[in-house]
Amino acid sequence: MSEPGKKKHREIETEQLAVGFQIAPMIDVVFVIMLFFMVMVGSVKVERELKSQLPGLAPPSADAPTEMPDEIIVGVEESGAVTLNEEEFDSNRPDKALPDFISTLKRLKQEADNRSAKVIVTIQAEEQATYERVIDVLNALAVAKVANVTFTVGGDEGF
Amino acid sequence: MGGGGGGGDGEPEFQIAPMIDVLLVLLIFFMSITSAQVLSIDKEIQLPVAKDAKKKEKDVQNEANINVRWTNGKATILFENNSYDVVEPLVEKLRARHDANAKYRAVIRGDKRLPAIEIQRVMSVIAQAGIDDISFSALNKE
Repeated sequence: MSEPGKKKHREIETEQLAVGFQIAPMIDVVFVIMLFFMVMVGSVKVERELKSQLPGLAPPSADAPTEMPDEIIVGVEESGAVTLNEEEFDSNRPDKALPDFISTLKRLKQEADNRSAKVIVTIQAEEQATYERVIDVLNALAVAKVANVTFTVGGDEGF
Repeated sequence: MGGGGGGGDGEPEFQIAPMIDVLLVLLIFFMSITSAQVLSIDKEIQLPVAKDAKKKEKDVQNEANINVRWTNGKATILFENNSYDVVEPLVEKLRARHDANAKYRAVIRGDKRLPAIEIQRVMSVIAQAGIDDISFSALNKE
């Protein structure tokens, strides 16, 4: 490295490459940027949406089933308890998941589909029930592929 | 492609040009999928999590993003950076948009700590404006 002959050669090389394209640092930089984006991909939060249609305004479809719809009442209490037709589900689970509730909804949906009947779910939330818990219930309904959902709070007329 | 690289003596050799090609393609791929997912939501709103919800459609022209903050035990409704303590002007604004565009829909970006009654108040505003297509915004993870 410190030999006089080599030092001279190195100076000449530097002068020549000063205007040239350096591939090695470019690869270093590209690798670092790529690693950054690769790591970022795992932690990026994506916005999702739970769709709903307000009733009364949508036109009735021509192929509407003649069978009476199955109406399910889902209660969301201030404590976070979720009830289906007054029966409490997943009461001893501290997390957001509602596995028993989802499986029951799926079963009810399947039974209604077999009879070509609609499933109409009414969410009756208590006034001080958290929006987070309501979203948990809407998420469970999305898993069970239940589309007709109405929403009421307290004793008010719902949507 | 050089037939797998290497000189005439059959020894494999490291090829820098195809490596750069691959590297740049990977870089562009990761850049595009991360930048497309950067959220543009109100930083003061803690959105709830719904893992099984659908990915949000990007249709800025046809949607009203209604933010509902929860600060110091009080809900604040924001639309296009204006807060509405009295909801009637918001109803008029949304109705005018909906009259001009039949596909206009509303997206509620509510804080997860909000009581359900406040969400119903916002839904009532949307219903009064004549909009029937609504969505609740959520995140895919905590």
